[in-house]
Amino acid sequence: MDLDSVSDAKVLMIGAGALGNEVAKDLVLSGFRKVTIVDMDHVVGSNLNRCLFFTPDDARKKRTKAEVLATGMRRLSTTAGPNSIVGRIQDQSDRIFSEHDVVFGCLDNIEARIHANSHSYAAGRTYIDGGMEGMLGRAMVSRPPDGACLQCGMNRSHAKVASMRFSCTGRDVVFHEPKLAAEITTTSVISAVMVREALKLISGHPEMMLKNAFYYDGQRNISEEMEIPLDPECPIHMSPRGTTGKRKRFKST
Amino acid sequence: MSSISGGFLPVRIKVKNAETGASVEMELETENTIDEVIESAATFWSKDMGAYVLRKGKKVLRGGNSLKDAGIRADDVLELIPDPEGG
Repeated sequence: MDLDSVSDAKVLMIGAGALGNEVAKDLVLSGFRKVTIVDMDHVVGSNLNRCLFFTPDDARKKRTKAEVLATGMRRLSTTAGPNSIVGRIQDQSDRIFSEHDVVFGCLDNIEARIHANSHSYAAGRTYIDGGMEGMLGRAMVSRPPDGACLQCGMNRSHAKVASMRFSCTGRDVVFHEPKLAAEITTTSVISAVMVREALKLISGHPEMMLKNAFYYDGQRNISEEMEIPLDPECPIHMSPRGTTGKRKRFKST
Repeated sequence: MSSISGGFLPVRIKVKNAETGASVEMELETENTIDEVIESAATFWSKDMGAYVLRKGKKVLRGGNSLKDAGIRADDVLELIPDPEGG
């Protein structure tokens, strides 16, 4: 690992819920210092059992998740300099993607994931997405211009629920059998995989990175890499614009 | 056994439910799409509305592809798995 590059790398983290808390912890303890956190929500009581950085006082005072997370990261490392942006990623300037070296999706809805995936691709930035549902989890790396992107793995069932939030505290809750809320051990596994992929990228070892999706099923004790083929009809790959951003390269140590 | 259409049914496959271990045999035409198989299986098991993918071995199948294009043959075993979207 190239800790100097890790320390200098600019990370965009979208979403500061359960997954965002774990990713933030792993990022700061792995040596990342420059992290921008984007989230529109405030802390509520039901977040507390699976979010390391949130406290009952944060919920009572309705503090914003992004700001609480940034404060928590500074507590873990005095040299960390996280920024927080309270709002939707869709409302931020497109430049936010090219201004960072790597993008993390810690989101709870497909619409925002599609936005983050497409804008990261256009900016030539690696997008690392995580998702969980009870004891099931998935992490996927999209590295433009090579290979499949997140949207290549989506189908009609994704389109039908694209605008719903898969949150255990918000509206439009979707549970899969058996009915479980976000589960912290799954969150820990997926966040660890996500941050490890960023460490490989920033340290100049993209050849070690996931080429496809990492799938984890804690009930059946299965963890495996699944192949997501590039979809030639995926709107991201069909776009005449394609990747306009230059892929950022990191030196290998 | 479940079937998507009432026409000629040249391909019989097995779809497994990754969440329960249950399986169902489906008779399909090679022109049926992966999207249709996902919807039929989700309906058969009364799945909650959500994102699902169908895989053969370690490969995730493209929704818009027909069974023929996806290389699905008689007696293939596919697996329906939720695509976790929570965060």
